[in-house]
Amino acid sequence: MATTTAAMTLTSDLVSAPMSISTTTTCMKAGTEADGLDQMDTGYLELASGTQKNLLDATTLGVGKANKVYICNESTDETYFIEIMINAMVVGKLYAGDWMFLPWSAIDTDADIEVTAHTGTNKITYTLFHEGRTLLAVD
Amino acid sequence: MATTATITLASDIMPTYGGYSKTMTLTQGGNALDVDATTGLQRRKLAATTAVDLITMASLLVETEDGAAAGSGAAKLYVKNIGDGKGTIDKSVYVSVSLGTVSGTIQEISRLYGGDWMFIPVTGIDATSDVVVTPLTNDTVVLEYALYYQED
Repeated sequence: MATTTAAMTLTSDLVSAPMSISTTTTCMKAGTEADGLDQMDTGYLELASGTQKNLLDATTLGVGKANKVYICNESTDETYFIEIMINAMVVGKLYAGDWMFLPWSAIDTDADIEVTAHTGTNKITYTLFHEGRTLLAVD
Repeated sequence: MATTATITLASDIMPTYGGYSKTMTLTQGGNALDVDATTGLQRRKLAATTAVDLITMASLLVETEDGAAAGSGAAKLYVKNIGDGKGTIDKSVYVSVSLGTVSGTIQEISRLYGGDWMFIPVTGIDATSDVVVTPLTNDTVVLEYALYYQED
């Protein structure tokens, strides 16, 4: 079985008793306890300010399957950000240096992950761990 | 007053993938100032398939988009499905996580099976971007969550 793990450590001194959260998960196929995700896509792109694109397309992934998404805005200018949307619903903004990790449900073929760049040309890395997609036929 | 989050990804799916590690400091929108507010780490026990607000933005001073700092705010949300809260983690069932209004339109963005976690940016817009959760079954499931944000 392929094994993919995602771990996070979060520390904060916002409250008087400093808080630390450590968590890890092994990425499994939907609804299984012994069958790990076995396919992945990873990439890098530069997106000019004002440009909106589908970063990940739900259509070929299949409803009800497991998809674990990591996205990072690798820009260094703190005023740069990308807006993350799913099916036109704004999820939030990733500013320069920010990352996100989402078990993306891709609930239907409209639930694409869309990104819009703001302020300047943003540099984006992403990785999708998944359990298979429908490959497109040869033109 | 810093809050930092480090993710480490490891996988043997692709032989040439060397894993990934990235640390970020949670800052306010568009500048290098640290976020200055949090809900703290909380737990919510669910035992019905009814959609409920995990976080109601209007109940907090999470005004990242519709307050004085309109359009330039920042907030990060952590949610984890820890199973029944008594040590049993069922990876065959999930809690769906949506954004929107529990009494109106919601958009499912995630399904957290037992043990799964998420860490994402959110807008904090009142009414239209509440965090709504819906268990798949009536079995007891516990979510841990925390929101870090810039106060209006």
